[in-house]
Amino acid sequence: MRTVRILRIPTAALMAAVFLASLAVLPARADPLAVVDWAQTAPAAPPAANAQWTTLDLPLRWTAAEESSLQGVALRLRFRLSAQPTDAWALLLTLATNGGRVSVNDRVIGEIRMADEATDVRWRRPHLLAIDPSVLKAGDNVILMQTTYRGGVHALAGVEVGPLSTLSERYERQFFLSSTLPWIGGTLAALLALIFGVLWLRRRETTLGLLTLSALLWVARSLFLVIETVPLDARLWMQTLFYSSTGIFAAVMTTALLRLAGRDVRRDFWLPLAYGALGPILLVATSGFAAPYLDQWWLPGLILIAGTALFYAVLSRVRQHERLQIVVVGAIAITIGAAIHDYAVVEGWLPQAKSLALHWAGPLLLVALAAPLVDRFMGVLRDAELARSDLETRVREREQLLKRNYERLRESERVQATAAERTRIMQDMHDGLGSQLLSSLMLVERGALSQHQVAQILRESIDDMRLAIDALAQGNTDLLAALGNLRYRMEPRFRASGIELTWDARGLPEELNINPDAVLPILRIVQEALTNALKHSHARAVSVVLTVDPADDGPWLQVRVTDNGRGIAGERVGGRGLLNMRTRAGKIGAQLKLESVPGAGTRVRLTYRLEPYHSGVTRGQTQLGMNTEAIIERFRQL
Amino acid sequence: MSTEPISILIVEDEPEFRRRFTQIIESEPSMRLVGVASNKRDAQSLIEREEFDVLLIDLGLPDGNGTELIRAVSQRRPDTDIMVVTVFGDEQHVVSAIEAGATGYILKDSTPADVISCIKLLRAGGSPVSPVVARSVLRAIRNRMGGTSTRSPTAPENNPLSARETEILQLLAKGMSFNEIGEILGISPHTVTAHIKKIYRKLAVHSRGEAVYEATQMGLLRG
Repeated sequence: MRTVRILRIPTAALMAAVFLASLAVLPARADPLAVVDWAQTAPAAPPAANAQWTTLDLPLRWTAAEESSLQGVALRLRFRLSAQPTDAWALLLTLATNGGRVSVNDRVIGEIRMADEATDVRWRRPHLLAIDPSVLKAGDNVILMQTTYRGGVHALAGVEVGPLSTLSERYERQFFLSSTLPWIGGTLAALLALIFGVLWLRRRETTLGLLTLSALLWVARSLFLVIETVPLDARLWMQTLFYSSTGIFAAVMTTALLRLAGRDVRRDFWLPLAYGALGPILLVATSGFAAPYLDQWWLPGLILIAGTALFYAVLSRVRQHERLQIVVVGAIAITIGAAIHDYAVVEGWLPQAKSLALHWAGPLLLVALAAPLVDRFMGVLRDAELARSDLETRVREREQLLKRNYERLRESERVQATAAERTRIMQDMHDGLGSQLLSSLMLVERGALSQHQVAQILRESIDDMRLAIDALAQGNTDLLAALGNLRYRMEPRFRASGIELTWDARGLPEELNINPDAVLPILRIVQEALTNALKHSHARAVSVVLTVDPADDGPWLQVRVTDNGRGIAGERVGGRGLLNMRTRAGKIGAQLKLESVPGAGTRVRLTYRLEPYHSGVTRGQTQLGMNTEAIIERFRQL
Repeated sequence: MSTEPISILIVEDEPEFRRRFTQIIESEPSMRLVGVASNKRDAQSLIEREEFDVLLIDLGLPDGNGTELIRAVSQRRPDTDIMVVTVFGDEQHVVSAIEAGATGYILKDSTPADVISCIKLLRAGGSPVSPVVARSVLRAIRNRMGGTSTRSPTAPENNPLSARETEILQLLAKGMSFNEIGEILGISPHTVTAHIKKIYRKLAVHSRGEAVYEATQMGLLRG
């Protein structure tokens, strides 16, 4: 599809070219005048009365040696009218390279600028001069052209007399072919040179460089064609410009063809380039003297060299069926054909031709040369788009994968947290409630307990259970609230025993980040300490002070339970309750200090180092979340 | 305070506790037992028929959840105090009851004195709270404000609690008593409990709004 779309441009251009070519070879509708009388004169002067008139055929083509000075010539043409016309008539000069002063029946009808001492002219456009019908008469009428010329090739062709309306139409068409078309070609080439040049500046590729060069050469060549009046000083340089641009353009085209043919260009480039440069060098060396010989011998050489390269290219490319390169080869072939045509025209072999074919073939060739470039550009663009969408798909897939992995990880974290919690509960029940109930059951079965003692054991069991529930109720184990609850529940019992319980939690932060494994043991230790104070101390006041102390190696949680009771007697320091407290503290790496002064009171001091702990699910979640985002972001940037 | 006895309705399915609560109320001269129900159906007819000041209710009933009864009573009779009876006073039971409209809760094994004083505290305009419940209420409010819920607005002005109320909850969560908080803030312990009751009501209103919102979203309600 893409190839077809790109082919449209050169195809349309080809069709336009064929159309224009068909215009160029259309036969003239009115017969042009067939003969002209020639008489040498002084420059721009009327012919002398005794002038020598020679009759020559039209189209007239004459060559003067390069060094010849300004010459004058009078050209006389005759035509017959059956009657004097009434409407406006005109004289069409399809090609009158030298211009001149034109009169009909001795009445001047117009003056086209001609060469003088300072200027040289070379008209490529046609001229249309109106004739007042009153000037014309039935029978013989005479046109006289007085003009000048210097060295070079000169021509007079397509001279017609007829009604203005008929001729003006033909004039317009000819003007387009021989003046507008070179302008269009030159402008197009300049545009292409600009585009290729900018591209070449960005990417120094040989193909781009050659295209830029070709387009610039075509601009130079067109310049020569559209500039019709040249100061005498610049004449040689304009000619040099023409020959060098033509020669090097042909050399570049030959190189392009050789490349397409798969030849080693570096070796083969020098021959066409040397030949292309030979023409302008000879021209400059001979101060323009060589120009007619170059036209005759050097130009066909260029065509020959390019044609040979074309032969190779066609041979190698058509076999490979690469459509775009066939387009390029085709365009070069058309250009070579056009060059042959133009050579024939200049040589006067095609008297019917009205215009040079290279005017349109050149720009067409430049456009065709750009086609593979555009094609490659589109290909790269499509590849980039494909690659991008591919990358996006992959990123999306990877994102999905990451998300799934993340979900799985979270799920397994959740399962782990639940398992850890279950383990904690089992352990606690095994050590605490379970053992307590079992031993109580033994005692009750033995009948060793009073009703009051049974009620107390059950109450303690319920307390233990509540403590465990408080510790677990908060999802992520909130020690502070659980400690608060312990106080909240024990306070009525202290009140009932007439003991004042003070509780100072002002030194605690709002949130405490603590290992969940340590929560229950700490609660149990504090509970034990409070129970001891309640049951055994005979104190009147018990105070609990909770603080978190910052230290160099991290914050420490400190719980102090102080009573003003009778103190712990020596033999009870190793008692079961205290042993339990020590064991629990040891398991979580906490320090337990017991200070007891008989008769003055007891102080239990628990210190536990708050290691930075990332509480299971919630904390891990955010961290992993950020990681996932970061990974995705990094992947996007790739 | 009026000299009228406080009228009380008990909804409790376990016979032992039903008997115990009945006994506690009947032996208190300032209170009057209006009725006792052991399941949801009986409770509903009692609630519709009787006038009462305090509803003492267990959440786990044989024919359904007591939360619906709480919601119905709190909406129909805003003056009624609803006290939830719970085994553990744990977050799950108490907070959902408060959100339904309960203003107090009491442990099943509370002493008669505790039960009586708790009911009196409620009628005097206060509410009891344990540190764990205070912490749960704080968390519930925080979640409402944004946190996990995406549909409710997250702007701070949507926090239903005043700065003072939040402070009280935070102190309670640390285990401070009403007296200690009162001393710290320079207010009476009674004011502290009054604040708590207000907090409960806000939580209930807030969660009710959310329930209506959700029901509308699900197409259960029209208009």
